Amino acid sequence: MPKIWILRGLKKGILTTAYPKSQPTSEEVPTRSLPPRPTDAADWPAGERGCPTGAIDSGDKKVDLGRCVYCRFCSSAGFAFEDGFGSRAGAMQASLTGNCATGTRHIFGRSFHVMMIDVGSCNACNLEVLNLSNPYYDLSRMGIAFTNSPKHADALIVVGALNQAMVDVLRRTYESMPEPKLVLSVGACAISGGIFRGAEGFVSPAGDAIPVDVVVPGCPPSPVQILEGLLLAAGRLKEEGVRR
Amino acid sequence: MIPAYLITSLLFGTLALLGAGFVLGLFAKKAAYMLGGVGSALGAALSLIALTSGRMVAIDLWLVNSTSYAQLQVSPLNAYFLLISSLVWLGTCLYSVGYDDDYPKSLSSLLLLTILSMVIVLVSGDAFTFLIGWESMTIASFFMILEGKGDKEGVRNAAYLFLAFGEGSSVLIMLSFAGLFSAAGTFSFMGPAAARVVTPLGPWIFVTALLGFGLKMGLAPFHMSEWLPIAHSSAASNASALLSSTLTLMGVYGIIDVVSHLGGYQLWWGWLALTIGGVSALLGALFSSVSEHSKGLPAYSTIENNGMIVVAIGVYLIATYYNLTLLADFALVAALFHAFSHSISKASLFLLNGWMSKLRGTFDLSSANPIPAGGGRGLRPLGIFTALSLAAVPPLAGFVSEWMVLETLFQSFRFGDLTSQILGALVGAMVALAAGIMMVTMTKVYGFGILWPRRTAEPGKKGGAYIGGGLVYFTVLIVAVGAAAPGVFYLASQAASRMLGANPYGPFVTGLLGVPAPFVILSGSPFGGFSPTFTALAFLSILLVTLAITGAVRARPPRFGLRVRRTPGWFAGAAQADDSTAMYNSFGYSTPIRIMLRFLFRTKESVVQVGSVQRTVIRSPEEYVVDLEVLDVFKKFYDALAMWALGLSAYTSRRVMSGKLGLYIVYIMAALIFVLIYILLTTG
Amino acid sequence: MSRGSETLNGGGVERRNLESLGEKMQLSSVFQAGGLNYALISDMETNKTIISELPPTLSEEFGALLRGSGAEPGSPLVLEAGGRVEGYGVFEFSYGPTSWGVPEAGAFSLMTYGERILKVVPRLNFKKRGVERAVLGLTPEDALLFVERSAGNFSAAYSTCFATAVEDALGLGVPSEARWTRAVALELERIYNHLYVFGRLAEAASQNIAATQTHALRERVLRLNSRHFGHRYLFGINSIGGVRRGLPKDERSALTTEVRLVAREFSELVQYFLSSRIFLDRLQGTAKLTRKDAFGLGTVGPSARGSGVQWDDRLTFPLEPYEDIYVNLETEDGEDTMARTMVRVREVESSSIALRELLDRMPSDGTKSGPDRRRADGLGAGFSFCRVESPSGDLIQVVQLDGGGRVSGLHVRPPSLVNWLPFARSLEGTVFTDFQFAFESFGLSFADSDR
Repeated sequence: MPKIWILRGLKKGILTTAYPKSQPTSEEVPTRSLPPRPTDAADWPAGERGCPTGAIDSGDKKVDLGRCVYCRFCSSAGFAFEDGFGSRAGAMQASLTGNCATGTRHIFGRSFHVMMIDVGSCNACNLEVLNLSNPYYDLSRMGIAFTNSPKHADALIVVGALNQAMVDVLRRTYESMPEPKLVLSVGACAISGGIFRGAEGFVSPAGDAIPVDVVVPGCPPSPVQILEGLLLAAGRLKEEGVRR
Repeated sequence: MIPAYLITSLLFGTLALLGAGFVLGLFAKKAAYMLGGVGSALGAALSLIALTSGRMVAIDLWLVNSTSYAQLQVSPLNAYFLLISSLVWLGTCLYSVGYDDDYPKSLSSLLLLTILSMVIVLVSGDAFTFLIGWESMTIASFFMILEGKGDKEGVRNAAYLFLAFGEGSSVLIMLSFAGLFSAAGTFSFMGPAAARVVTPLGPWIFVTALLGFGLKMGLAPFHMSEWLPIAHSSAASNASALLSSTLTLMGVYGIIDVVSHLGGYQLWWGWLALTIGGVSALLGALFSSVSEHSKGLPAYSTIENNGMIVVAIGVYLIATYYNLTLLADFALVAALFHAFSHSISKASLFLLNGWMSKLRGTFDLSSANPIPAGGGRGLRPLGIFTALSLAAVPPLAGFVSEWMVLETLFQSFRFGDLTSQILGALVGAMVALAAGIMMVTMTKVYGFGILWPRRTAEPGKKGGAYIGGGLVYFTVLIVAVGAAAPGVFYLASQAASRMLGANPYGPFVTGLLGVPAPFVILSGSPFGGFSPTFTALAFLSILLVTLAITGAVRARPPRFGLRVRRTPGWFAGAAQADDSTAMYNSFGYSTPIRIMLRFLFRTKESVVQVGSVQRTVIRSPEEYVVDLEVLDVFKKFYDALAMWALGLSAYTSRRVMSGKLGLYIVYIMAALIFVLIYILLTTG
Repeated sequence: MSRGSETLNGGGVERRNLESLGEKMQLSSVFQAGGLNYALISDMETNKTIISELPPTLSEEFGALLRGSGAEPGSPLVLEAGGRVEGYGVFEFSYGPTSWGVPEAGAFSLMTYGERILKVVPRLNFKKRGVERAVLGLTPEDALLFVERSAGNFSAAYSTCFATAVEDALGLGVPSEARWTRAVALELERIYNHLYVFGRLAEAASQNIAATQTHALRERVLRLNSRHFGHRYLFGINSIGGVRRGLPKDERSALTTEVRLVAREFSELVQYFLSSRIFLDRLQGTAKLTRKDAFGLGTVGPSARGSGVQWDDRLTFPLEPYEDIYVNLETEDGEDTMARTMVRVREVESSSIALRELLDRMPSDGTKSGPDRRRADGLGAGFSFCRVESPSGDLIQVVQLDGGGRVSGLHVRPPSLVNWLPFARSLEGTVFTDFQFAFESFGLSFADSDR
């Protein structure tokens, strides 16, 4: 009969990514998740047009990934992109901000509960976070679970450009979380305001309202990159490596 | 050996003190209640002595006819019921000293008169004395209900309805007694000496007794008789506690007493009791869960609990029919035990609810009225014991007895025929469902009525030592009856011993799996067992460990790496609403049941558009009564009956009676004597 | 004064001043340009878009809503229609702004006496970023970055709408291949959004395995987006005058095959679903929106078509490729969640068919227009607008450019914004458990309506 879901599932085979046991495949890290890289011929800051978000800093000659919305307007100004459908090198971009205490792996073990709060996103980051629970990424295999209430949460994922109406909500949410607690800023908007840096609705980066431990750049970051951020927060990644 | 004169003097002491309280109540309320409390304490002492010693004492008063004396008697059975009632009265009197400040003095008088008549009902040794007590009890409580607050019309209607049901009950009981008399040839069949009567009139006697006493207990289909007077008249809390927990207890006593004098049980008696009991339990629980009246809700819950008692009696009857001695014994003890735990828990709930309603100025559970500071803040946590006991949560009194009732039903597979087995299983399901619904209901009444209402800073009425004392007294009693269940089991089995031929305590109370001897209650030789005492100890130790950890962490936070955290409530990110209209209320809590069971509750929902304002109307049973609309077929029937009775009583009151209490009693006496003479003549 | 898009789509737009709305006319948007108030009206009889100066007799009831500027950022926009609800036991149940059931920032006040939903009041603007004002003074190319981030999951619709309106204002001739490529992106976006809605409905009905399978299918479409357009949510595909990357011939056939596979698998899944009584029970008869209400409240998109309203911008306001390819107008008469869902299910099928046609017949005349073809005259005087059928319905943008070719005015009428009140209406009289189904079936997005 047609309703044998198990058979259907078996027929599908394994869809789930091998990450973090091995590097993610090119399918899992899409092209537009890769940051611009200045070549020797780079024109700072990003040609006459300039970088729309100010991510390209002509003073330090550095690209601030937290601001980059991956629009690639700078490609004409000597910034290189790995093209084609994805490349793994440099794909993983999440980093600790320095707030994060060491030894989180010891604290959380293999159970890590995460809550997402939207403080003014365009919905793309929300969807990418939700996508983590689909079979391709299958968050629960790593003991990471989404929760609905900050009172059950170990970590808070903040997405979106912080809106005036959400400042108190964000603070209340953070205060309702039990210690020890971690905060992930996911996406350019949460980290720096992204493209909405100068928009009326934007108040401040999430990190100004509550202490942020991990940032995951991207616009939006792909699920694997968010996963990397989560593993980093839970203390399950080595500094550079794939798996502790 | 306890000397008979000790019991006699204690009995007369109790009666004298209560009588004195009745008179004193006309002058000084507080003193009267104190006197009543002392009298009740004396009654409790008397019954405890009589119960443990097993001593039976009969006191002849005067000769009624050639064979029967008007008698007072103390036997283990009525001593057990006297013990329950006395304990309830003691607490109620204590509470009343602090509570009864804006009711007239006559309320205290009537309350004590009601208690006095109940004592007479319990210690009566013959049908005659019993009925005198019964009638004066009915009439005293009728006047007590008339003292209730609320709209005058409603109070009067409720009181008259109560009286109508009371008289109906009296008539049925008289018919039952008449049957017993014709078979036994004496009026002293209430007495301890009487042997079991086997007679072709048995069905007649049983059915009239079940219906007559059932009317008093508010069993379906007479459930109006219980909740309506209490809820509708918003009777004083101490009066409601008395009505709902001990007045209905008299009905339980009556049924058990009549059954104890009958022999030759027939199978269908048990079926009848099971059916009426099961339906009452379920209906009571369901109606209780949708009630928004802080007194109507517990009153419905009384129907549920009395239903359970009747179910246990039904199992007793069937088991006796099939000679299942062990099951019969356990079922009877379960009925007696449940009467105990229900009475104390229910009285406690009424008193607590009454006090909270008084503080909030409303009987409406879904009201947003706050509780003012001062009175009752410390009493709120206490209420959890009462609520949990009625919701049957271990190890409290209510759990032990409900567990026992359900265990008897589990064993209905032992019955000898298929019908009984199926009925047993069905009724078991109904009782279990009722118990489950009560959990929801008690959450509601405790949550919305006691725990969750907002607090205000401005001080309100002060509770005082007496109110607090009364409520603490009941809480201690509830915990004690649960934790010391084997002891209560002993008392209940002592009460049942004459009926069962021997004290059934032995096979049921034992030790098991490392729990020492008298602490495990078994429900049958190869059946379930449970130790309330050790459960209580386990709970207590968990509580103590938690408290110890909390204390330790508070004292030295950093060393343990643990802290006591206080975080604000979580409202999905929004700030906590201060507005009362933004708060979840008890009406909303039980609306899903109203909507799901609309066929039962006849729920009607309508949205009325008034200009640009939308008004919604959902009608719950309570509101139906207020609007005098149709609740169900029973209510419709009784409405018609009430109209007819009102017409009749208007006629008779003009022609026959001037409305005086004495004349009423004379009238009842005359009716009784008429019936008795008729039966004497017809049976030769 | 206004050029509209009539030169591009060969009709569909009419400019005349109306005294009042006709029987079958729907006020779709109200906007200001050059100091005048305009009304954008959808005429359901002739399927034409009518631009008129705002007639004084026109009801202002939805004016604030349709004007689109809404409240200031940070201040709440409360969409309350009708009277207060009073009665015994009635209280306000507040839902949001942070809840998992709605994974976005937005709130609802539900009036109820328990279980029964008597009235729903959506509270918006928790995430208003102010896109319309942020783009003022930017070049259209830079403004695109903001516009496509108004609503991430409708980004192709947003950027296509904006780019088309700007190109129209500039009089820019856009190669057909670019327009066809945009249509491919629009259809892919429609497919993955419909799959999302279906998956969320399955989740709400606790059909977890099925929901997971639907979400897996959606992930496949997202990866197709990524492979062929470079971005999973189709950001940065458009530029003014064309698309940033065309679809080479070999990719077209691969895309056709993949989409066909996804559509086939989805229709299998749907067959499984439709044989599940549990699932059907939760959808059928849930959250009814009558045709009268749907029309009167200005419902758009699959939600309106589920109530029998016949309007689809692809047919009634056809941009270039849609005149040439076959798109079926999917409507249902059920008026309930089931009908709205079935419209979406069938649209997945028809989108995949349209995609095949789009990819098969795609012309090859380049992906960008030359920069010299821009016309400078007349800029700053008028406005141009465009309507695009986003996955949740009719998206309207009105663009004004100043003399330097920079954006001097942008008015957005998002599809979600007008669908809140129909959603609230459909929930009246239902029970709490229906909330999720109604919400998902309307395909509402706070990001979209808040912008």
